[in-house]
Amino acid sequence: MTRKTGRRVFWAVSLFLCLAGFVISLLTGPVKTTPGDFLRFVQSPDRVHEAIFIDLRLSRAVLAFLVGAALALSGAILQGYFRNPMADPFVVGVSSGASLGAVLATALGFEAAAFGFSGPGLMAFLSGLGIVSLVYALSLRRGGFKLETILLTGIAAGALASALTTFFLFMRSDSYDQAVFWLLGSFQLAEWGQVATIAPWVALCLFASIWLARDMDLLALGDETAQALGSPVRRVRKAFLAMSALLAALSVAVSGVIGFVGLVVPHWVRILIGPSHRSLFVSSALAGGTFLLYCDLLARNLLPAELPIGVITAAVGAPFFLYLLHKKR
Amino acid sequence: MSLGGRWPFFLPLAILSLSLPVSAATVSGRIEDLPPAQVIKDDLGRPFPLPRATPERIVSMAPNITEILFALGLGDRIVGVTRFCDYPPETRSIPKIGGLVDPNIEIIESLDPDLVVAFRGNPLRLVDRVRKLGLPVFVLDIGKGLEALCPLIERIGRVTRTEHRAAGLAAGLRGRLEAADSALRGSLLRPKVFILLYGQGLWTCGGESYVNDLVGRAGGTNIASALPKKWALYKREQIIKDDPDVIFILARSAGDFAAGRDRLLRMPGIENVSAAKSGRIFELDENAASRFGPRLVDVLGRMAALLHPDHFGDPS
Repeated sequence: MTRKTGRRVFWAVSLFLCLAGFVISLLTGPVKTTPGDFLRFVQSPDRVHEAIFIDLRLSRAVLAFLVGAALALSGAILQGYFRNPMADPFVVGVSSGASLGAVLATALGFEAAAFGFSGPGLMAFLSGLGIVSLVYALSLRRGGFKLETILLTGIAAGALASALTTFFLFMRSDSYDQAVFWLLGSFQLAEWGQVATIAPWVALCLFASIWLARDMDLLALGDETAQALGSPVRRVRKAFLAMSALLAALSVAVSGVIGFVGLVVPHWVRILIGPSHRSLFVSSALAGGTFLLYCDLLARNLLPAELPIGVITAAVGAPFFLYLLHKKR
Repeated sequence: MSLGGRWPFFLPLAILSLSLPVSAATVSGRIEDLPPAQVIKDDLGRPFPLPRATPERIVSMAPNITEILFALGLGDRIVGVTRFCDYPPETRSIPKIGGLVDPNIEIIESLDPDLVVAFRGNPLRLVDRVRKLGLPVFVLDIGKGLEALCPLIERIGRVTRTEHRAAGLAAGLRGRLEAADSALRGSLLRPKVFILLYGQGLWTCGGESYVNDLVGRAGGTNIASALPKKWALYKREQIIKDDPDVIFILARSAGDFAAGRDRLLRMPGIENVSAAKSGRIFELDENAASRFGPRLVDVLGRMAALLHPDHFGDPS
């Protein structure tokens, strides 16, 4: 199978799975609904079915797709940025920093919603970006620009943020359900407002990353080589770091920390369609969104009570990843 | 490609200044055809449109709310309860919306309620999500002591437009509380009481619990009242040192009570505690005592009678 047909097959399968995922999401849930119910609703809408199909299920599916796309794109960018297959939004500290902000906001009773985020969501977003800025500033001062410095500073800052998060949750033992939400993620509270808040930024980052994909390809050859070939390396790096941080912080702000998507989905895609960044970015976004859509389906339908989605992403993602890895060899 | 030199620092500001105003727009207007009688505030300060007539499809998000709704004669209008709502027995046939911390929004919506009564212990984010569907949600704060019970009932009466029945119920309960108070007047004796929650370990009710208040009103002294918690683990040595005169075991059945009593009495040193020597170890109905509802006054009556048999006559 040539790379080109492989890519076509990948796209056809992904698009089909994605559409099927949306249809299944619309039709399944704790309240039993049949395709017939949906058709009747389309012909003569009533308030209860509108709330269930559109306000609850569809908004949730769209949000899960967007967050999956954002996380996978963020991971794909960071893996290229660090030229390191282990990179994901956790290594620069965004995820941990964002959950720290959310938990702090909860502990301090900061509830006021603004800009389409809840209070803790807004704090998550700001502290996620804040911690990346801090990591970046600290790394810059250590003479020039070394990738390892950012990576290690990010890991250290993330570990510190995680420790503080656990500390605050421990101090407030009554906020267990909040803790689970911020540490393992959930789309239970999805609403169209959140979709509207993050959708433009996800789209913007996707287009920008496609536009800069060629520069990312050059970075793979080493910074000096890329510079010699005419790529404005420092600016490209800044733009990519900012985009990946923005995507991850937005995701945490609406749905809590969801691990594994950013790490694993870009690898799947790379194994299936090759390393060219332009198609890698687009395909990662599609595959990540589809993956999280199905994970959320499991999270809300597997048991009578909802499961945190972080449990599903790791439990489903890891074995599938191992399978692909070994099949390739 | 020209990007500003300070992207990571500049981005949060840029996004805040762009702030998308779409977010709050999607809540569709619903709530009944009639305009509300007036808009009042629930216990969280959120606006609540007071209905003109008694709601017909009520969802209760806590067992004590369910119990009070039944006491107000609204049982046949309840369309959804939590899986913990088991009193009165009629609740068993009512559809379940999930638990206290994991109510299911989709199921609540499918019941098409015209009133959702929640309490502070339900996750606020979930309750707010239900409100955003356009459903009328009233959140109740549950007070610390027994004096909050009648206001709670009157508040539920107001929201369900059964003010008269609620006032009658509250007046009856107040009368019984006063009767208990006056029966105990002049009694200087305040027996020391240890409350044991049936189960693993010596769990008891601390000073923050309304059970602590119950013990006080029943003319006793809770030995654990200094603990600034609702529920707390107590130490065996501490029980022996405090030497309670009476031990109440909150149990679901006579079998549980007997098992709990025997386990307690087998612990070294406990047999020398006053309550064990005099045999004053009694059962309390865990179901009634653990819900902040009208049955608390029954529990209070039983407690007072067991603590002061000379004032009340022997209940057993």
